[in-house]
Amino acid sequence: MPAKGILLSSSPHSFTPVSTSRIMLSVIIALIPAVGYGVYLYGFSALALILVSVISAVAAEFVFRKAIKATTTIGDFSAVITGLLLALILPPKTPLWMAALGAIFAIVVAKEFFGGLGTNPFNPALIGRAFLLMSFPAAITTWSMPNGLALAADATSAATPLALMKQGASLADVATYFGASDTGAFLRQLFMGYRSGSLGESSILLILLGGLFLIGIGVVQWIVPVSVLASTFVFAWVFGMNPLFALLTGGVVFGAFFMATDYSTRPLTPAGQALFGIGIGLITVIIRKFGGFPEGVTYSILIMNIITPFLNKIRVKKYGYVPPVKPIKPTKEAGK
Amino acid sequence: MTVKTFKGGAHPPERKDRSSGLAVERLREVKQVVVPVNQHFGAPLQALVKVGDIVKRGQKIADADGRMTVPVHSPIAGVVKKIEPRTQSNNNDGPCIIIEALPPPAEGQAAPAPEDLVDFMPPLDVFSCTKEEALARVRAAGIVGMGGAGFPVHVKLAPSKPISYVIANGAECEPFLTIDERTMIERPEDVVEGVAITMKIVSASEGIIAVEENKAHAIPLLEKAIASSPRTRAGMKIRVQLLKTKYPQGGEKMLIAAITGKEVPSGGLPMDVGCVVQNIGSLCAMVDAFKEGKPLIERGLTISGGACAKPVNVIAPIGTPVADIIAAGLAQVDEAALAMIIYGGPMMGVAVPNYQIPVQKNTSGVLLLNAEEAKHYDEETCIRCGRCMRACSCRLSPALLAVAIESEDYKEAEKIGLLDCIECGTCSFVCPAHRHLVQRFRVGKQVLRALKQKEAQNAR
Repeated sequence: MPAKGILLSSSPHSFTPVSTSRIMLSVIIALIPAVGYGVYLYGFSALALILVSVISAVAAEFVFRKAIKATTTIGDFSAVITGLLLALILPPKTPLWMAALGAIFAIVVAKEFFGGLGTNPFNPALIGRAFLLMSFPAAITTWSMPNGLALAADATSAATPLALMKQGASLADVATYFGASDTGAFLRQLFMGYRSGSLGESSILLILLGGLFLIGIGVVQWIVPVSVLASTFVFAWVFGMNPLFALLTGGVVFGAFFMATDYSTRPLTPAGQALFGIGIGLITVIIRKFGGFPEGVTYSILIMNIITPFLNKIRVKKYGYVPPVKPIKPTKEAGK
Repeated sequence: MTVKTFKGGAHPPERKDRSSGLAVERLREVKQVVVPVNQHFGAPLQALVKVGDIVKRGQKIADADGRMTVPVHSPIAGVVKKIEPRTQSNNNDGPCIIIEALPPPAEGQAAPAPEDLVDFMPPLDVFSCTKEEALARVRAAGIVGMGGAGFPVHVKLAPSKPISYVIANGAECEPFLTIDERTMIERPEDVVEGVAITMKIVSASEGIIAVEENKAHAIPLLEKAIASSPRTRAGMKIRVQLLKTKYPQGGEKMLIAAITGKEVPSGGLPMDVGCVVQNIGSLCAMVDAFKEGKPLIERGLTISGGACAKPVNVIAPIGTPVADIIAAGLAQVDEAALAMIIYGGPMMGVAVPNYQIPVQKNTSGVLLLNAEEAKHYDEETCIRCGRCMRACSCRLSPALLAVAIESEDYKEAEKIGLLDCIECGTCSFVCPAHRHLVQRFRVGKQVLRALKQKEAQNAR
């Protein structure tokens, strides 16, 4: 019998200070620049959209887990991230009740029905967006020009660069539409972020800032984002599109750093992650080029989520791997 | 000097500064020892003495036939009081021989002659005797791997394949432990001599003393010992290799990969890549066995930890209850702060209920941890972050392995490499959800081995 208060347990007896909630908090921190810029572009209505989405997601998780008598998990902050990510990929003027509905669907159906954190096969925020896009196609494809911190009513609706391209406009036309002097200036403008689009996807600079921060502190590994970006660039070029324009518009960069890297839904093995990223880039370009939608990042990531379990089969060779001895087939000569 | 290392691993807090500066002390007076009969990896031994027998220091008290056996010797001159099961450092009960030291001679009586108290073997010159004689001596001296596994050294030194490298494992990658470091600083000549003896026995061409960066201050002493060694003057090639401070650098497989760039094949032994790896303590024990004919009856260990008010590096007879080392004043315990007792290091050591448990041939340290150091966490769900995959020194995909074991898919678990797991615990250390990964693999390995055995029986 152990003396009173002496702890017995199986080794190891030393543990990292890194915890799940700490990892999730660092992702939230990485999203702050994009959130701030979204509010700067679209005003307090954008802030309201973010708050409604986050609060709905957290409340949905809390209530659902209470209802099924499971442990409360909102302390790990993963629901906050889902709500935040959903808001950032919705049109800035999405009705608040719609955002709330999307967040609830994302948490309850896409995450908790599958067992909660770590066991969901599909990215919950993307499922939330896909659900809203299917249910309210008009609202989720109504974009507006950035109107600063002005009142919501002042918003002027506008097409996104990708939608204009889909309608057959040339790059020069799109540049003119957004008031840029030439295409070079327009690409720089896209990098900085002044354009119509989803709430948090427009400033490539600020998204890169957050993404590189996550890579720097080791929360995200480089393979997925780099392969997504490289693959989008290459396949856009292959399909005769401007590869830089392909990277700077839509949600490619945001998706590469914050959606495709979702722990639960990306493959775990390095080779699996590379193929996963390449697939996302390829499908994004195919949807943009041949599909019915001007943008395809949401669906390309969701499609690749499906094959994640298979990509996990492509493992690194273990230490001291010895290839299995193949039985020697008798040759025809030997058989005679 | 180039710094070598392996892929993966982690950096648990080292906490070696508590004891790394303390010279090795010696426990002199021992009243009673509790000597476990089985202290090696292999077949069990039989006690050769019975209750009431008077035994000399160094006398063989347990042995058995068979290759995978290593005899045990009495560490003190005394009387066998009991032979009974006691808790050992693996936290299981096993047969132990309890020997009480002979009382000091009464007044007026002559002290007994030294030959009545000590029973060592005659010295043997390993460089002029045959290989068989040398191996017989290593076995007769009861030498096992003193780093933790307790593998019979005479088996390790009789490989069926040619050996190129003898590697002295001075990595000591477990936090807190400093006994190997102190031994390299205080007995560098013996470490070098031990490498030379091993090289002679296995006919190796190169000896390498591997030291982690946090023990780099031992390197000048080792290099001086190498330069002045009669063995290197006679042409033996011995050198020091600096390694990155990283856990589990001292794992045999990781050490070999870091130094030679080769990997021990799955299911194989170091000899398959021409290597023999020896613990620092084992090397010194071999020197003693040849030079003085002294069997392995004492060893150095570190007693440390946050609840250890006075840490110590100490040489104690095998079988000494750690409580007696503390009672002798060599180490002090802060009983109020004591939360956990570990025999071994914090990464692979065994948590035990008390420190009455005796020092064994493979006890490299005893840790007395406070509540802060012994902090354990509730297991949360796996978030699939992949930290264990990157940290696993055997590249085993622990996250996927755990899923396979939980779903009882042992075919998949074997394919991923369950049986290759060295149980270093790095996966559990790095897990932000504090999953019991290595713990599952330990159990899983036993289940898989049992399944395979059943399968083999059915196939017959």
